[in-house]
Amino acid sequence: MAGASDERRPGPAAGESLQQQHVSCQVFPERLAQGKPQQGFLSSFFSNNQKCQLMLLKTLQTNPYVKLLLDAMKHSGCAVNRERHFSCEDCNGNVSGGFDASMSQIVLCQNNIRNQAHMNRVVTHELIHAFDHCRAHVDWFTNVRHLACSEVRAANLSGDCSLTNEIFRLHFGLKQHHQTCVRDRAIHSILAVRNISKEVAQKAVDEVFESCFNDHEPFGRIPHNKTYARYAHRDFQNRDRYYSNI
Amino acid sequence: MAEGSSWRPPRPCEAYRAEWNLCRSARHFLHNYYVHGERPACEQWRRDLDSCREWEERRSAEAQRSLCESERARVQTARKHALVWTLRQNPPADWHLPLPQEEKDE
Repeated sequence: MAGASDERRPGPAAGESLQQQHVSCQVFPERLAQGKPQQGFLSSFFSNNQKCQLMLLKTLQTNPYVKLLLDAMKHSGCAVNRERHFSCEDCNGNVSGGFDASMSQIVLCQNNIRNQAHMNRVVTHELIHAFDHCRAHVDWFTNVRHLACSEVRAANLSGDCSLTNEIFRLHFGLKQHHQTCVRDRAIHSILAVRNISKEVAQKAVDEVFESCFNDHEPFGRIPHNKTYARYAHRDFQNRDRYYSNI
Repeated sequence: MAEGSSWRPPRPCEAYRAEWNLCRSARHFLHNYYVHGERPACEQWRRDLDSCREWEERRSAEAQRSLCESERARVQTARKHALVWTLRQNPPADWHLPLPQEEKDE
């Protein structure tokens, strides 16, 4: 549901307790009960929105991580429709996006997504949450362990914690640093949408880490770059042959 | 395992070669060290590639057995951890429903 550190992506969540809703509404001011985004200065709103829509279209059509996730979701009965399941909106703070389980919609923060590569990663991250929502009974709102699991998976599989991205964040580390990054980003994401202490968030991540870090669905591996994602997509398309011959 | 003449390797032999090459690459060494803190183990891809070729050339039963065993071990490894959540039998009922404001507009 949410990213971490410089790209916090809390999940807007209507139906939560008033406290939790307050946290999400602060970050996603356009996600009000009425639903329609507020109109700011038309020209700047239009250009950010248009840029967001164009980058989203390119991601959906060309990015191998996203194409695999879209195929997997279709296979699970959750075919994704760009107009229905994505929304480009202005967000507060440094948030890049979020997954709204109550509306089955991915929010993209058009004022914070910097470039195409960033859009690719945000869409991948949020689609992993959407995929988890589609294939499992994820209790986003009252079970911190479920939220922690999806955040661990999203940080692990979306490229959020690639060596390059961590270096850009000035987080230097090599041996097993990926796991440190995944833990940290998952904790920050949880704290962005839950009014709980860091210790509680950390405990939830620790409890689920072994299982969720090793759950690579639908990729079957950690896709370190587009080559791995393409191989994973090839394997996904081959799954009928695979499972009928082992 | 599907028996008899309808069986074929779970992956095309080119896929085993591609995985073996990717596994042995310097880039993958770096990725694996970054994630797991150790060098990757690539020998099984080589064994699977050999088995696949052997089956294609000579329809070797031993090659078939070896490939099946190897792939089942991979599946077992992927599934060894208990899931945190329960898997659904059906997708969420509201996934395709229109957004609330769209209903109001109609």
